[in-house]
Order: sequence, then C-alpha cells, then structure tokens
Amino acid sequence: MSAVPSRPPPASALLDGGATLLVEESHALPLVSIVIALRSGSAFDPQGKEGLARIVGRMLRRGAETMKAHDIEDALDRLGGEISIDLSASSLALQAQVIGRNLEPLIELLAKLLGSPAFPEDELARLKRETQAEILEARDNDRSLATYAFRRALFAGHPYGRSSLGTTSSTGSITQADARAFYSRHFARANALVAFAGDVTLDQARVLGEKLLSGLPVGERIADPVPSPAVTKGRHLVLVDKPDRTQTQILIGGLGTWPHDDDHIALGVANAIFGGTFTSRLMKAVRSERGWSYGAYARLALDRQRQSFSMWTFPSATDAAPCVALELELLQAWVDRGVTQEELDFIKQYLIRSQAFEVDTAPKRLHQAIDIEILGLPKDFHSGYAAKVAQVTAEAANTAVKRRISTEDLVIVVVGTASDIREGIEKQIPGLVETTVKPFDAEE
Amino acid sequence: MKLDPRALALASLNASASSPNAKWSFDGAHPFGEAPSAAPVLRYRLGNGLTLLFLEDTSAPVVSYFTWYCVGSRHERPGKTGLAHLFEHLMFNETETFKAGEFDRLLEENGAESNAATWVDWTYYYESLPADRFSLAVKLESERMSKLVLRDPQVASEKEVVANERRYRVDDDVEGAANEVLYKTAFTKHPYHWPTIGWMPDILGFTPADCERFYKTYYAPNNAVIVVVGDVREEAVLREVRDAYGALSSSVIPPEDCEPEPPQRDVREIEMKKPTATEKLLVGYHGPALGDADHAALTLLNEIMFGGRASRAHRSMVIEKEMASEVRGWVSTFQDPGLFEMYATAREGHQTRELLLALDREVDRVRRDVVADDELVRAKARLELSTLQSLESTSGKAEVIGFYELLLGDPCAVFRRLDVYRRVTASDVRKAARRYLRDGARTIVRVVPDEEDDDEMSEAAQ
Repeated sequence: MSAVPSRPPPASALLDGGATLLVEESHALPLVSIVIALRSGSAFDPQGKEGLARIVGRMLRRGAETMKAHDIEDALDRLGGEISIDLSASSLALQAQVIGRNLEPLIELLAKLLGSPAFPEDELARLKRETQAEILEARDNDRSLATYAFRRALFAGHPYGRSSLGTTSSTGSITQADARAFYSRHFARANALVAFAGDVTLDQARVLGEKLLSGLPVGERIADPVPSPAVTKGRHLVLVDKPDRTQTQILIGGLGTWPHDDDHIALGVANAIFGGTFTSRLMKAVRSERGWSYGAYARLALDRQRQSFSMWTFPSATDAAPCVALELELLQAWVDRGVTQEELDFIKQYLIRSQAFEVDTAPKRLHQAIDIEILGLPKDFHSGYAAKVAQVTAEAANTAVKRRISTEDLVIVVVGTASDIREGIEKQIPGLVETTVKPFDAEE
Repeated sequence: MKLDPRALALASLNASASSPNAKWSFDGAHPFGEAPSAAPVLRYRLGNGLTLLFLEDTSAPVVSYFTWYCVGSRHERPGKTGLAHLFEHLMFNETETFKAGEFDRLLEENGAESNAATWVDWTYYYESLPADRFSLAVKLESERMSKLVLRDPQVASEKEVVANERRYRVDDDVEGAANEVLYKTAFTKHPYHWPTIGWMPDILGFTPADCERFYKTYYAPNNAVIVVVGDVREEAVLREVRDAYGALSSSVIPPEDCEPEPPQRDVREIEMKKPTATEKLLVGYHGPALGDADHAALTLLNEIMFGGRASRAHRSMVIEKEMASEVRGWVSTFQDPGLFEMYATAREGHQTRELLLALDREVDRVRRDVVADDELVRAKARLELSTLQSLESTSGKAEVIGFYELLLGDPCAVFRRLDVYRRVTASDVRKAARRYLRDGARTIVRVVPDEEDDDEMSEAAQ
C-alpha cells in the first residue's frame, strides 16, 4: 500500500523568551499565512464569564495604541490582509493571511495588536452587544442548536460543555478588567507559538517572529485547566423544541477518544469504518439504502482531554423515530460484533492514501505542526500516523470499540417539533432514563 | 526550421489513434499567472469534441480531475425543475461496469476526495487523488459519461435524499428559503426563476425515463470540459484521456431555449413568516452577466459596500447604528444577467423597514458621489487576496480554470479579471451603481418572526 512520500516537518526554532517558531516555506503563490497560537482557549473562561476568551481575542482588532478599530480595519484592507480569531476549548489563535509584498507592514500592525491592545470601553460594550445578537442568531441554525445541546448534556458541569460564545448574561457581565486580566495572563512569549507558511524564508520568519512578539512579556507557559470528563450514566433524550420543523437534526453519542490512549489510532480506524466515509456502514444504511438523511456521519472529536463520539443525521420529521432506532441498532452491532477484516483492509488503504490531502498545501502542513505543540499531541501524531494505521489489527480495532464506546451511556439530542416526534422517538429508545424538552430559544 | 517538440509528440500520439474521434488537436497555451512566463494551461480538443485543460503543478504529490458539463438548472423546464441536480446525485450510482456503491468505494480505497456541484449554468464532478492514482479518475469519469445505469430503486431512493437535502438547505433554513423566493420573484421568464435544487413536487415526480433522456442529451464529450491540475505529465494525461474517451460519440446538444428576462419595471415585495428571532431583509437588483464589461466595477462596488468590517454598510449598520447583526452583498457570477443581492439581519428590536432605509442611504451615496480613492485601493487589495486564496490547492486551481473556461471561454480569465479590477476607476464604479441600482426595479424579501406556533408556511413560497 503506497503511503504519502514523507516530507520534512516545518522548520522550527526558538524565539527570545521561549516562544516556538514554525516555518513552512512554499513559494508557489505570493501569499503568506501567519498564526500566533496561545495555550489558552474557552476552557479558561471563568465560571459565569463564559465567552471571555472569545471577547479578548476579538478585542485585539478593536483598538491598539492610538489606532481606533476603524483605523485597524482600513489598514488591514489596504495591505490585502485578513485576520481572524480561531478559538477552541484549548487554543486561542490569531490567524492572518496577506499578499506577499505586504508581509512586513502587516507584521508591524499585528505586533501592535498583540502587544498593545487598548480594550477601549466603548468597543467592549459594542462587542458584547454584537455577541448577544450572535447568540440570538445562532438559534436559526438547527445544526448548531443540536451541537450545543449535545455538548451541554454530555459534558454537564465540565468546560467542554460550555459554549465558547457564552450566554447573554455571562457576556453581559464581562468587564474591561476581566479582559485585561485574561490578556495579561495568556498573552506571553513563553505561552505562544508563531508560525508562518507560504512565500517567506526561515531567516525572514525569525526576524518577523521576534518583531511580532516584541510587545509581549516573557511570562510563563500555562497548564491545561481541564480535568478528564466524567461519564453521564444511562440513556438521556434531549428534545430541542422548535416549531414548524419538516426536518430533524439528530446527534447520538457519548465519550470518545483521548490522543494519548494506546488505542487511539485503532478506535479512529474502527470509527472510519462505522461512519467516517461516504461508503461507511452508517452512510450506507441511512442514506444509500433508505434515503432518510442527506448525510450520516460518526465522528471522534479531539482535544487535550477525552472528547466526544457522536453520530450525526438529519432525517425528515417523519423518518426521525425509525432513524434513531436504526442508528442504535447499528451502534450496538458495531460494539458487539466489531468490524470485519475486509472492512479493515479497505479503510486502511483509504486512511493511508488520503493522507496526501492532509499535507497538500503549506498552511495544512503548518497546522499539523501547530496542533502537536498546542494540544500537546505525541510528537509523531501526524508523521507516524500512516505506519500506525497499517499496524492496526481487527482485534485491536474491536477491542478499542468495546472499551471506549458505550451503548448504555448515551446522549440523544433531537432538534425538531417536539409535539410531532416525541412519542415516536421515545418508543425507539430502550432503557431511556429521562427526556428533557428544551425550547430552542431558552437562555442557557 | 526548429520543430515544435509538442507538435512532434502530438503527431506521434495521434498516429496511434483508433479513429478520428480519438485524435487530439492542440488549442493553445495560456499562462496561468499574470506574467507571460507563468506555467501554462494547455488546451487540447479530442475529435469527438471533448475539451481538456491541463496545468502541471508539482507543488504536492496530488492531482485534481474536474469534469465540467455545460448543463445546469437553466437547461430544465417548468415541471421538471431540479433534474440537473438530481442527476448529479445519480452519477454516483451504478454503471455498466461498476455496481452500485463501487464508484465511491474505489475512490476511497485509493485515498481520493471526490464531490460534485450543480448550479444554474453548470455541473461539475471532481476527484482529487494521490498523483499515482490518476488513471482511476480517468477510468471512472469516462465510464459514467456514457455507461450510467438508471434504474428505479436508485432513482426513488436518490429522490428521497434530495428531498431531504431540500428540507435542510431551503425549507428549514431561513436564509435558504428567502434566497429562493428572491430569485423566484425577480425572474419571471428566465430559468433563474427556479432553484437549482428544484421545487419539491418536481423532485418527487421524476421517473427513470426523465433521467435517461437528460443523460442522453447532456452527458457527452462535446458538452464536457476536463481540467487536470497536478503532479502528472502531459504525455501521460493525453494518452490516458484519449484511450478512455476516444471511443465515445458526441451528441447533438439542443439549442438553448432560455427566454431572456424582460426588464423589471416594478418593485416586487414579499413578506415571509419564519420561526426566527430576528427579521431579515434581502434586496435584489438586476445585475450584469459575468462576461459583461460592468461586472468588475459592480464587484468592486459590492466590496466597497459590503466587503469586510471596514465596508460602508457594515460600518454604518452593524458598528455605528447597531441595527443589523450582519450585512452581506454578492454580485452573481452567472452566464446571463443575475442579481446584485444585498442581505441584512436585524438586531433584536429592529425592523426590516429600518434596514431598508439604511441600505437605501448607502445606495444613494454610491449613485450620487464617487467613492474615495482609498476605498477603491482597499477593495482592490481585498479582491487580490481572495483570488490568491482560491488558488492554494490543486483543486482550487482546477475549479477556477474550469469555471472561467465554461463561462468566458478563457481558462486563465481569473488573472485578466485581476488586471481589470486594477484599472477600474471611481467613475466606473459610480456609473455601474447608476446603471444597476434602480429603485423602481428591485425585489425585496422580508422575513419576519412567526409568533404563532402553528404550521404556517410562507405564502410567497407556495
């Protein structure tokens, strides 16, 4: 089986104050990507201040030194530059892309945003109002309603169960002092990683990297505050009730994998067979054979601690109950009887050969290296992936599924019109412990 | 006289062709970049009418294989809407050689990414594969261009999948539903009137015979353009594509039967009720076709009004007045004149009436005064950045090449456009604003929260 020809990882170096520098050169286009990643994220949001990490990240472009928000936006556009904040539970990154000829002036601008944010009161107040409007808007999207409800139920009381967006009341309570305190603690050179991909050389990147972080103190590297999540016992149905739904959004799952598990790769391989591709068991049964849902996937989320396993489908309201029953059956069969040698041989070829598309552009190669640093993944997480997949046996895959995937402890979230679907769905869930019905517009 | 090595290689390849249908002719090299020295996109045509565009790209050991068909929802007729899109789904089913499911399975087994898209003017299918798997894409795509099997169980099941896709993208999606109504209302004669996904009763009514007729008509080498970008060699590409497609016959493509859209002479207003917390406004002005001289100026105008946080509408409606949570604009990139769409989501407590007034103020301004030089500079830089971003991967390049070949007959038009953007003046922008942003000929869709919990559907969508 042919694997992707191996290529050296991005060049790395240490900058003053302990920040890591990563550089992936590619001169194919006059374009440069820049990432400044911090060991931070929404898991660090204090209780009652959910949404703080996101607000701090977004405040960076709303005032720095004497520049007002609109000066910053004008300057970015003029350079042909773009910035965004990428936030997860365990990472806060400022990402930028710029036309190659304007790299240096963009770095000067970013250095200012990172090192001297002003956190002006009027802009903070405005951003809080914007965030509250976004929270309201998110209710239009049934898929994100399902995702939030699933996380809240599966990780109740745990940082992974909270929304990085926050709630209307939590964002309302955030003050300038909160933002400054979060910034002071997290934005430090020892806690940062600077990465470049594209039309830039290592020597250039060293100089620009130092310039980028010149306004930050050395500080210290911050440890992950997140404990391992606990299991929610039994089968729990959460109905997110929304009127006039012709279709439902269904997420079913429980706890999944941790990147340091010795069976992490084996479980990933088994999951790809179950619901990771267009010819997977789930897709075949739900979409190809029955036409019930446009998509049907199983996913293992990844973070510093154990994350979720979930199946996602979106059948019409009339097919929702039989679809839940079918998914539970498929799940049970997967856990009880595992995968076959034939399925395993097939998926290994897919997983190994498709690695080519994990590394076909400079930004993708760079992001693999960033994940290793920021999420604390094993050093060979990506480079050793193909070899490890090749070694997975059917026994190892099936043992991993039995050990990690529960058919008893499940959260089942359905977004739909409760009065139309509740009874039918409840009947299809043997051993259901409780049903919770939540209006789609309820404040959490 | 020095002989052209390409001509020599082609002559030798054509000497082994089995029929005139399988002979290549060279149709030009087009630099893929702004410099004349940029690596070229080579255009070849096979005797049966198949067009091949090839760009060698060794930046990663992968190859992207796009097959574009000149058929989209504009080629449908009332009562049979959504056929081009349903057909795209059916193309992943059974062929004479491969049984149902085998197509995707073979691609996955070889580590390929694949997908397809259908829109008003075109349909494409693509595979991105490890470069040493190139032959598989050629084999599969040539097979399904001529040997698809259309049987009832698959057609019936795929209709269900598409009906579910429609529920997901339109019926239960506020913005999707509003956008459908906008085009339905703004266009009365031209096929842009109906959505690419089709009306629900049409989707559910298709028979295998409808599909068969459509396939025989539009899926033929002379209605297709293949784009290959990646780490593969020209000679191998020509030989393999010729061997796989050379035996296929061209078909008679019926002359297009599209009514041009008559000028809109009235304001059309629709109100829809949806279970949503905030009001939404969608305004459509009839715009130019992608190939019209005004398209670039109007695209720059859209960037100045709606592109990013420093744009006029964002600054005034989202930041300063805080009446909207989001504003967006888009000039449709269609073969025939489409719409300049403007979209705004109201903040809680604000109404579409205020949004419309605010948008109108911005529209008045661009019609009255020329835009500032700095605004134009920023808009041009933004468009240059987004162009470069679209070219990062082999599949991105192949998509851009095929899109412009189909719509403008120029595989490298993306760079021509960049050049045109640079030359657009503030006066051009105002001229375009005055020509297209006409108050008396626009369509307005308002979405308001449905306070009742009953099953009230939008009147407009019926």
